Amino acid sequence: MSKGLGTIHQNKTGLYKHREWRGFRDTMFDYYRWLVTWKDMIKMILKAPISIVKGLFRYRWMASYLTTPAFVDRHVEGLRGPQLRMAHLHYNMIVKHATGVIATSFMADEKSNPNNKLSKKIVCLDELIPLEVMAGFPNLIGIPVQTMPIFLVSMVDQQSVPPYLDSVENYGVPADVCPLPSAEAGVAIEDDYPKLGTCMVVCNMPCDGSVMTSSFQDRRFKLPTHVYNVPLRYNGEDVQEYAVNEVKAMIKFIEEQTGETFNWDTFLAALNTYNKQLEFEQQKWDVNKTNYPQLTGASFWLYRLYYYHLSGGFDKRFLEVDKKVNKIMLDSYAKKNPVSKVVRHRAVVWSCPANYYTSFPVWLENCWGINVVMDMETMISMVKFDTTSHEGALGTLAKSYQRTTMRKHTKGGYKNVVDELWRVCEEFKADMVIMYDQISCKGMDGLVGTFEDQFRERKIKFVWVQQDLMDSRTISRRDMREQVNKYMTSVLQEKPVDESLVDFDDTEAW
Amino acid sequence: MKDLKHLIYFENLLQEANNDLVQQATKDGKLALGYTCYHMPEVLLNLDNCFSVRLRAPRTGSMDIATYYLSNFLCGYTKALLERAIEGGYNFLSAFLGGETCSEMNRCMEHFEILKLIPNDKFFVSFFDMPFKTDEHCLDSYMQQIKMKVLDKLHDVYGVDTSSDAIRKAVELHNEVCKIISEIGEYRKEENPRITGYEFHILCLISYCCPKYLVIDKLRETLEELKTRVPDAKKNYRAKVVVVGSEMDDPDFTKYIEESGALVVADRFCFGSFPGREEIVINDGEDPLRAVCRHYLKTSQCPRFMEQAKVDNRKAFVAQLAKDYHAEGVIYEQIKFCEFWGYERALASHIITNEYGIPSVSIDRNYTANGTGQLRTRVQAFVESLEIKRIHKAKEAKNK
Repeated sequence: MSKGLGTIHQNKTGLYKHREWRGFRDTMFDYYRWLVTWKDMIKMILKAPISIVKGLFRYRWMASYLTTPAFVDRHVEGLRGPQLRMAHLHYNMIVKHATGVIATSFMADEKSNPNNKLSKKIVCLDELIPLEVMAGFPNLIGIPVQTMPIFLVSMVDQQSVPPYLDSVENYGVPADVCPLPSAEAGVAIEDDYPKLGTCMVVCNMPCDGSVMTSSFQDRRFKLPTHVYNVPLRYNGEDVQEYAVNEVKAMIKFIEEQTGETFNWDTFLAALNTYNKQLEFEQQKWDVNKTNYPQLTGASFWLYRLYYYHLSGGFDKRFLEVDKKVNKIMLDSYAKKNPVSKVVRHRAVVWSCPANYYTSFPVWLENCWGINVVMDMETMISMVKFDTTSHEGALGTLAKSYQRTTMRKHTKGGYKNVVDELWRVCEEFKADMVIMYDQISCKGMDGLVGTFEDQFRERKIKFVWVQQDLMDSRTISRRDMREQVNKYMTSVLQEKPVDESLVDFDDTEAW
Repeated sequence: MKDLKHLIYFENLLQEANNDLVQQATKDGKLALGYTCYHMPEVLLNLDNCFSVRLRAPRTGSMDIATYYLSNFLCGYTKALLERAIEGGYNFLSAFLGGETCSEMNRCMEHFEILKLIPNDKFFVSFFDMPFKTDEHCLDSYMQQIKMKVLDKLHDVYGVDTSSDAIRKAVELHNEVCKIISEIGEYRKEENPRITGYEFHILCLISYCCPKYLVIDKLRETLEELKTRVPDAKKNYRAKVVVVGSEMDDPDFTKYIEESGALVVADRFCFGSFPGREEIVINDGEDPLRAVCRHYLKTSQCPRFMEQAKVDNRKAFVAQLAKDYHAEGVIYEQIKFCEFWGYERALASHIITNEYGIPSVSIDRNYTANGTGQLRTRVQAFVESLEIKRIHKAKEAKNK
């Protein structure tokens, strides 16, 4: 692990004074991957230069994507050897796919390209609906409408969201609601969603705020809209018939609106591909349970989150990446390579992470030797699709959709998040829990006392880290770090692995 | 106006969740079933030897322990209930039933279970899955959930008769109460109403919080009394308003609004009468359980319903209330930290003002009506703005 990682950044902006020196081989590799990120971004622009440039000037959030190389840099800080290679493979796949979605969105945007044909092929989906269902419509394109304008960009640039939050709060929505759906409503108020698509499917996931933000967005999209309802008490078999009926109703709606017929062959093929992805995922989990975990930090959960929602099983590039990553991982595991130079604590990260500080686990590792072996966002659905029958496929699809990001744990009863945490700690041999206190998440706020009671009984090192999901003005990255610093120095009385990372100001950074 | 004969009696009953009538009913061997949300069909908690109590925490003070468990960021209603439960204020309950309709109340209910708050071995908390729209298959699911998580459990644990005949019988009593409250409510349409919003709020709350069979006679008597009640010749208000929003079980809010010059003529909030006091219709040959579930699914005005027709209808419904009850304005209120109403209040007040042309004011508030200076100021200013609009309208009409 490098000493003095905190010294390579400029104060406040976090811009590099110089790139990190990782030894000749790793530095060259890292620089090469940095060039690859730029290559993929330029490729996107060349796909439709006029539309992309129009989008850049039309949509406030688009400018933030120009900082993507810095986003990748933040997330690979301190990594070496196999870990560096695996992380870059993950991030590059995210960049490749996201640039494709942005390019498609701008080419289909009726604001800049009125009456274009591409728009008619697009089905807008709420970002929480994973894309597998669209595999049954190979002639259509499913676009998760909020992902690019707000969700992903909030991870790329912490400054991108506040203007939308200001907008929605000026409109009258209280500041205490969860800032994710609130910011989505803000984008609608600012008319900053590309106008595209032939119809829209909204859903009740993950939480109460997401339910309510739909009514703001509907007013802007003005598309024929279907509400896809996912049961909340999802553990019981008693809601599964209803869940399957809801999937069927969604498919029927898309068929009616687009004139397309659901193609079972392409659908089942995509589910089979996704099942293979799940096998690779399980391998990662299994390795992280051992004394030689190989994937810690941030790329593990960010990639998982991304492919679960956006690969849909039909984009086979993800599977290729999985193959490469898992090969590197297993080789490294066979050699019993430590995941980082200093591993002091095996931590589980629980609750929703701060989008404006997705690289927080990287800092934990570099500064304090806290390696995140598992987290809540990674532990979303592991339901394997049954591809032996149509009903079986829909049944398992419905089950998987009931266990999406943020929702699997925050809905369906406290046991899904409280008891589950203790189970995960045991399974992954964690001695520490980094517990995000996302102050606006009502589902998690309602369990703070119970967590307090139960972790004391279990004698687990439990570090509360307050954050506000999308709004770095409420609790800054620095404030988040300070909470860990205090715990590590006051309670555990440990010395940092890298002193230069303990306290620095990055309030103006992307 | 002459005071209503039973008003003070009713006011006193509302000072405690475990009031005299609740105590009397439990002494009679009845089972007290707690609930908090419209989506738990009230009528089904009045089957056989059961009676429903819509839970309140009147005279709430400190909520420190509940805040430890639920944090600062959950709504006051959920915290007040939990605090009261920890204090032993709901020990009379035999069960607490509800759906995972909002995260906050769900967490509150779960703590009854986690902390084992009710000293009764048979006590249970039941959670059902509540759909977000009203399609037929959603109704099927809702009905199945209610049967499985409420009726079957009551039958299995307490041997409650949950047959169709029992449901029909409960619907009869329920409808009678609803009819009385609705008839009383009709007087609010009068040009100079013979009942105030505060009085109506009290009567409505009584119908939710007391065993119906013990309170129905006095409600009936109040209705008779109102038939001949003469309002004051001089109006005691400056403008009529509809109050719309989240859970509001403290009648003092209505009192303070009325003291500020606005007469509340319609109440579209949880614990109010729109919806809540409409009669349930069971068609010939229809399964009464299905009829009940359909009634609650269709009449609900909760903002958690997502389908466009329901979303639009919520605003149209309020506009219609304003028209029917001759209200000049709408007060949108929201209990602080309510996620659903936080959004709905902002958007609906915008729509009702700009698209329906009905003036509105949007306020947030605490669970209890303590520290209401802000509320009074907002309402007073709103009433003044309504009066100014009235003057301008009259001038415009004159100039034409």
